[in-house]
Parts: sequence; structure tokens; C-alpha cells
Amino acid sequence: MNKLVMNFLVTEGYVEAAEKFQMESGTEPDIDLATITDRMAVKKAVQSGNVEDAIEKVNDLNPEILDTNPQLFFHLQQQRLIELIRNGKIEEALEFAQEELAPRGEENQSFLEELERTVSLLAFEDVSNCPVGELLDISQRLKTASEVNAAILTSQSHEKDPKLPSLLKMLIWAQNQLDEKAAYPRINDLSNATLEDPTV
Amino acid sequence: MPSATVNKPRPSELLSRLTSAEPEVKVRALREVKNQIIGNRTKKLSFLKLGAVPAVAGILADSIDDVTENNNCNNTNNFLVQSAAALGSFACGFDAGVQAVLDAGAFPNLLRLLANPNEKVVDAVARALRMIYQSKLAPKYDFLQQKNMEFLISLLNSEKETVSGLGASIITRSCETNLEQKALFDAGILRKLNSLLEGGSLSQRDASLESLATVFRNNPEVISKFAGPDIGRPLSSIIDLAKDRYPRTRLLACMCLIVIRNASPHFLQDIGIKTKLIHILLELLDDPGQVGDEAPFAFSSLIAQKEDLQKLALEANAIDKFHHHIKKGSLHPRRYEGILLALADMCSKLESCRTKFLSLQVCFFSGTNYLAQPNQVKPWSHSRLWPPMVFTQQQSLSLLQVLNLVADALTDYNAGVRAAACICLKSVTRSIKNLSAGYFMNETIVIPLVQLFLDPSTSVQVAALGATSNIVVDFTTHKSIFVQCGGMKQLVQLAKSMESSVRSNALWALKNFVFQADNRLKEGVFSELTASLLSSLIRDPEPSVQEQALALVRNLVDGCINLIEFVFAEDGLILGAIGRQLQCASKAEIGIQGMYALCNVASGNEFHREAVMQLLFTQMGDKNQSFVVKFLQSNDSQLRTATVWTIVNLTCPSSPGAPCRLEKLRNAGIVSQIKNMVNDPCVDVKLRVRTVLEQSMAFGDN
Repeated sequence: MNKLVMNFLVTEGYVEAAEKFQMESGTEPDIDLATITDRMAVKKAVQSGNVEDAIEKVNDLNPEILDTNPQLFFHLQQQRLIELIRNGKIEEALEFAQEELAPRGEENQSFLEELERTVSLLAFEDVSNCPVGELLDISQRLKTASEVNAAILTSQSHEKDPKLPSLLKMLIWAQNQLDEKAAYPRINDLSNATLEDPTV
Repeated sequence: MPSATVNKPRPSELLSRLTSAEPEVKVRALREVKNQIIGNRTKKLSFLKLGAVPAVAGILADSIDDVTENNNCNNTNNFLVQSAAALGSFACGFDAGVQAVLDAGAFPNLLRLLANPNEKVVDAVARALRMIYQSKLAPKYDFLQQKNMEFLISLLNSEKETVSGLGASIITRSCETNLEQKALFDAGILRKLNSLLEGGSLSQRDASLESLATVFRNNPEVISKFAGPDIGRPLSSIIDLAKDRYPRTRLLACMCLIVIRNASPHFLQDIGIKTKLIHILLELLDDPGQVGDEAPFAFSSLIAQKEDLQKLALEANAIDKFHHHIKKGSLHPRRYEGILLALADMCSKLESCRTKFLSLQVCFFSGTNYLAQPNQVKPWSHSRLWPPMVFTQQQSLSLLQVLNLVADALTDYNAGVRAAACICLKSVTRSIKNLSAGYFMNETIVIPLVQLFLDPSTSVQVAALGATSNIVVDFTTHKSIFVQCGGMKQLVQLAKSMESSVRSNALWALKNFVFQADNRLKEGVFSELTASLLSSLIRDPEPSVQEQALALVRNLVDGCINLIEFVFAEDGLILGAIGRQLQCASKAEIGIQGMYALCNVASGNEFHREAVMQLLFTQMGDKNQSFVVKFLQSNDSQLRTATVWTIVNLTCPSSPGAPCRLEKLRNAGIVSQIKNMVNDPCVDVKLRVRTVLEQSMAFGDN
């Protein structure tokens, strides 16, 4: 159980909680806690729009991640372009798209389509109301951030998703299935996990 | 303002900063170079051209000296980490970069640094070395030297993932011969790899799966030693990994199992595992990245040449699945190529697979066609047609959509895709049923195919000729389409190519093209080819070209008596070339095609038969034995058949010169040799031998 909790804290990046939990319960994390801080710093940089900073941090962490993951690299560059457009730096945006992104589009057809979609942001005066407006949405940043987060976790041989939530989902599903078939001691209060006898 | 991209220094400017005397400036420039090139092929290339690699390698070398002089200061380590990371990135997935790193002499320095006390340095260095070992250009590692093997074991035993991963990469890249495989096994490396499979991290598992596959490849001895007599635990851990949650691990485990199966077929015979492998690989196609790109290649190696697996794959709807992916469009070229090759392997043997492929998305219309039985293929005509088919009435299919799909691939911008499309077409057109109906001889296919004859890539040319060879075996009147779009003239041009594989494949296609063609068509081919070109091809330095040229003559002169005159053109140039080639045939196939050509000539008139006789007996004087006797004593039953057939035609009782020819054959010991062959193990030979003996009896031989 402690390991599950530690796994949750590590994957989700709650580094302070993980440290406290380690002290109190004596559970060893399966990863160096310092790397969580680095990973969270990258994630935060993307979330706040500092993509270039994020890229440098990822490269310091492990240069292989972006060198062997063209899709992630493209998405980060695309996010940089989006940030330039958001900040109204049109000339820079165009130059960046031409120099950095166009060669990636030549290498991969689907990148080209995404690039075209992104550049079309420049064609609208009111970007918040255009067909590709969702690219400027904060959710796009979150999407990119979680992609980077997952890639870093994978490079550290760690699961992308914490185990605890999926175990809980499985428990709920199994109980729902059982409900239709049998009377059994059920866990109703998930926080205490006490088995309650069925009412006869 | 001429803005440098988002305030970034230009490459040339960065490069000059790399030589700065200020450590601060220098390290920042180094880091900047690294950050610019990571993930960016274009940037790698432009920095490479500016000479950045030797500059970075120089910093690495200087910093090593610093380490030895003044023990481990922070600055030095930072230089080492950044320069190693930059060199690693230059080498990542980029052969020109690997070459530059090696040329700059960085390799031995990187190896030395593996012993550095600083963890971050070791990490960066091991990563860079691993990148180099992912390229074909990596220096060969000599496993047979004791100290190298010890070093490798120390790498694999390392706690650090990057270091043990480097050990695995060295094996994957450098282990080639059976001797090296055995040496690795004897050194206990496989046990180590296996423990990484069971207890290692994700990347360690993947790396050891790759290494295991390398050590197993084509080496049944190592496999059985590893797996033990009871197909025990080691294999089951690989089988488990084929169901792992990570797609890349699943792919690598499948590839490892396929290597095992292909080397030792008695392993993994269980139908459950076979089906499982097919399903896993088909599922992996859905992976959007590299795993999905490689999955069809693994699939091909699983089913190639194995009918049982092709059948299972057909039942698993593999063809539909591949088709679905092609239809989606905008595929990565590697994946597109892999899928076409997988389809080619699927359709290489089983007619049921070809039928399935050709019926994809096809509308059936209500009418049925009754197809005439084809003329029986005469024993003296030669074409590659297989497998034999029972002709039944068949439904007419509208093949347009499927053919369009292939035609699209034939004109793809990527050479690998074009070649794969040809290979796929070649497999599909093995369907005699559809060839007979003339389904493939249409402009949609033939025009792009003929255009590929002039493709800049030799492998595309050869593949296009291979597909053409099948398509031109057409029993209907459609052959003229091929002439009209210039295909025939092109083939003749290619028969003069500098590449021997192109010459022999062009001749192969011509041979099939004239197979059972009408006289006018054959005359057209011959006048385009000319007797002098054909005779020089018969004497080509390459045996495979000689064979195809002789087979072409065999098919050209088959049929009408007028056609036999071809070999007498220009003072019998061709006949003379055949004679010379038979005297010194380097392999049985050449003898077979040459003898069938003579056999067809001998089916003509007296003049033709006398010419063949003369040929058989030229140079008899200098040699004790005629090549005829040598051929009759050959181990190759086809060569014996062809030779006896020729004798049958020469001694045909209806011809006036037969008794005289028989006398000559008797004197040369040929008839007595044939008499010894009445119980030949080959039925064909036995039958023809009887005919010769009957004919000889008719002239009073006892």
C-alpha cells in the first residue's frame, strides 16, 4: 500500500509530499526524488509558456529524449510558435516557422498539416474566434506539458500513469459487476476501505 | 531589424565562441550548440558543415587533460558533460554526424571517460557512445579478445542504465559471426542479458531483447543451449514480454521470438503462439511512431516463405488491416514500404491470399465469365509460371481500385516505396487465374511500371522488371498494350545495362513476353534485339545473364518453323554462341536452357537438324567426350530431360536424314549412354528415353 502511495506521489510530481512520506513511512521511492523536481520544472515551464526554457531543461536532463522523439520535439516547437503568435511577435513567428518548423514538415506529412493549421492563426484578426482558436487555449499548453512529462517518465523507465487511480477504477468496476450477481462484503467507504457485510 | 531567429546567435558566431578563452562564454556556447542541434537534423547538418564537430571534440580532449592535471573541478565536468552530449547528438540517427565524430578522434576519449568518477560525465559519455553504436559506421568491437570481453561484462554489470545499455548496444551492433555469438554465450553474457530481461528497467529490458536477438540470429546451437531441453523459463520470459504494456517492448520481444523460430523451426511450433505473434504485430501497426513503422517488417520476417503462417495471417484479416492503413494515406515512407513488402510476402505463395488482395473493396457484378482452358504449355517452352492452377469459372472483378492503389505506390517519391510496390505487384501477379484473364495488362499498371525501367535506383529497376516478367505472361491478346507504351523497346535497351542484375531481369521479362506470343510480336522483338546483341548476351560474363539469354532464344524459336531462322541470321551467329556456351557451361541451368533452344531448333526441317548435329559434334576431336554425354550423365534431371528431348527430335523417323544421324550418335557412344538410362529415376527422362529407343529400333537397331 505504501508503495502505491509513493508511486502516486512520484508520478504526479508531489516531491515534498513524497519526501515527507518517505521519512514517515520509510518507503523508498523507485526513483531519485531530485529528478521529480527537474521534471516538474520542465512541466511548469511549458505551462507558463517558456517553451525554450523547457527544451533546454529537458536536454540537460537527458539529451536523448528530444533527439529520438520527433513528434514530441515538433509539438514543443509548435508550442513555441503558438507562444510567439500569442505575444504578437508576427515577424519572429514567421521566421521561426520557416527556419525551424518547415524542415520538420518536409520530413513528415502529418507535421506539415499541423504546421499549416498553426500558421493559419496568423490569418485571423480575432484569433479567439477563429476555427483554429483552440490552439491558443491554455489546454493546448497542458496537452504539450503532459506529453513532455510522460516522455521524461518513460525515459526514466517509469510508468506514465500512477497505479492507484487505475486500481480504484478497477475496484469500482469489479464491485459493480458483482452487484448484479451476488451479495458480498462491499467496500463503500473508499477512504477507509472497510468491508461492509451485505444487508440481508 | 534583421533579427536572428528569436535572438539566437548564428551558428558561425557560436562556433567562434567555442574557442573563447573565457570558460563561461565557452561552456554557454557549447550548451547552446547542443540545444540547437538536438532533434533538428537540418541544424546538425549546418553545424557539421561549419566544422563544429572537431571543435567540440577538441574541447572534450582538452578537458580530459584537465581532469588528469587538477582533479575534478566543476568547470571541467561541465565541459565534459556538455561536449559529450553535443557529440552524442551529432551522432544520433545521423550517419554523417557519426562519421564526423569518429574522424575527429573523439571515440577513444569517450571510451576512456567511462571510468570517470563523476556520474553525470559517465552518463553523458555512455549515451554518446550508445548513439555511435546505433550506427553501421560504429567501429567493430572484437569480442574474441579476452580483455574486450571482460570490459563488455563490466559494462553489462553496471548499476547505471546508460552504461549497461551501452554494453547491449555494442552486442547488437557488432556481433555478426557464429563464432562471436558462441564466444558471447560461453562468456555467460546470455545469462546476464536474461537477468536484465527479468529484473531490469524498461530500457534495460528493451536493450537486452535486441542483444539476445542478435546473438540468436541464425544460430540454432546457441538457441538450444540457451533454451535448454525443456523449452524452459528463458523463452517464457521473452514470450511474456511480447504481451508487455509498452509497444516497443512488445515489438522487440516479437522480433526476438521470430529470430528464434526462423533459426530453429522446432521451437515455438505451438499454434497459439504463432497466432498470438500475428495478432500482436498487426496491433502494433496502430502505433503512430517508429514501432508502427517497424512492425510490418517484423511481420514479413515472420511469414516469409511459410505457408502455414500466411494462412493464419489471412484468417487474422491481415490483408484487410494492411489495406486499411494504406487507404488512410500520408504514411511515413518506411511504414508504407513495410506494408507493401508484407503484402508481397502474404501473396507470394497462396492463391487464396492473392484473391483476397484483389477483391479488396471491389464490386462484383452479376455476370460470370467462362474462361477457356489455356493451351497446354509445351515442354520446350519456358516461362516462370507457378503454382499450377486448376482453372475454374470465375467471377469478373473490377480491379480498378486495387490497381490504382498499387499504381499510386509505383509513382511514390520514395525509392523504397516504389521498389516495394513492384515487389508486391510481382507477388500478386503470380495468380495465373488473373493473368489469364488479362487483368494486369492494362494502362493503369503498365504505364507507371514501364516508367520505372528508367528509375535512377537500380533496386527499383530490378523490382519493376520482376513484376513485368509476370505481367507479360499474358494469354490473351493484350500483349500489344505493352509494345504500344514502349515497354518492349525499353526492355531491349535495359538488356544493354551496365548492371548485370538489370540485364538478366530485362531478358527474363523479354523471355516471358515472347512466351507463346504470335509470330509478328516475336519478329518485332527479334528485329529490335538483333542477332549480334543476343549472341553477345549469350556470351555475357555473368552466368545468370547467359541463362536468361538462352531461355529467351528457346522461347523465340518455339512454334512456327519460320521463327527457327532467327538463330541462323548473320551466318548463324546465335547458334554458334549457343554451341560455345554449351561446351563450357558453368552451371546446369545454362545447359538446360541451351539444350531446350537446340531442341526447338531441331524440331524444324532437315537443314535445321543437320545444323544442330554439327554443333553437337564440333570440337569432338579435341575432347574425349562430347558435352552431350556429360549432360546425359548429369545429376540434374532437367538437364537430362532437355538433352534426351533434343535427341528425340534429331532421330524423328519421319525425317529422311534420321538413319544417318542415328549412326553418328551411335558411334559417339550417345545411344549406348541412353540405353543405360531406361530406368532413370525421373519419369520425364524415362519416357523420352523410350521414345529414342523406339525410334532407333525403327531403323533396325537391336
